[in-house]
Amino acid sequence: MKEVMAVIRMNMISKTKEALLDAGFPSISCRKVAGRGKKKVDFSLVEDLLSGGNESMSSTVAESISEGHRLIPKRLITIVAKDDDIKKIVDIIIAINQKGNPGDGKIFVLPVLDSIRVRTGETGEIAI
Amino acid sequence: MIMIRAIIRPEKVGIVLSELSDAGFPAVTKMDVMGRGKQRGVRVGDVFYDEIPKEMLMMVVNDEDKDDVIKLIMRNAKTSLKGAFGDGKIFVSPVDEAYTISSGLTQL
Repeated sequence: MKEVMAVIRMNMISKTKEALLDAGFPSISCRKVAGRGKKKVDFSLVEDLLSGGNESMSSTVAESISEGHRLIPKRLITIVAKDDDIKKIVDIIIAINQKGNPGDGKIFVLPVLDSIRVRTGETGEIAI
Repeated sequence: MIMIRAIIRPEKVGIVLSELSDAGFPAVTKMDVMGRGKQRGVRVGDVFYDEIPKEMLMMVVNDEDKDDVIKLIMRNAKTSLKGAFGDGKIFVSPVDEAYTISSGLTQL
């Protein structure tokens, strides 16, 4: 049993969910996170927004690109699956999200010791 | 590879993030979390709070960088030299594989 954690772009979440559903992996959990990667982000692209005092910009956007914490909003999806399915899931996520630009995201595969279904108390791979 | 998940005080996020990037570990993911610790929360007067807002920093580093990163977070997330309850926890777990989506490579 393994856990796939993928950090992807905000606007790719629905396509990724659809592709995973089509491939037979309906169960995922996802959340909004903020992050940065190895590459330096060119914030000059949004400098106009920052210095121009654009009032239409929402406060959350302003906060996320302000000097204080320069993190970019991302989506984190988590899937727990059997060992044999991991390769397939990783390939699907890469195929959908790969645009060739830095910032497309990262995928991490972590070992999971056990899983338990709360409703019945079943443990192991049938509980996934 | 090692995944480090640090749950720290929200007001310490700024200093930890800037120290991490100065030390050469820019890649990090941050998420808002709520939780309580061994002290079961905080009591303020008659009110007991057991869901205290914290920030979780998640990063994956190479095995040899593990100790440096943990020491750096510990040094910067403490509220005083001695530290105090509620300064946070750091969890370390193994990572089998890491993929970069843009290049498709199997590396950090």
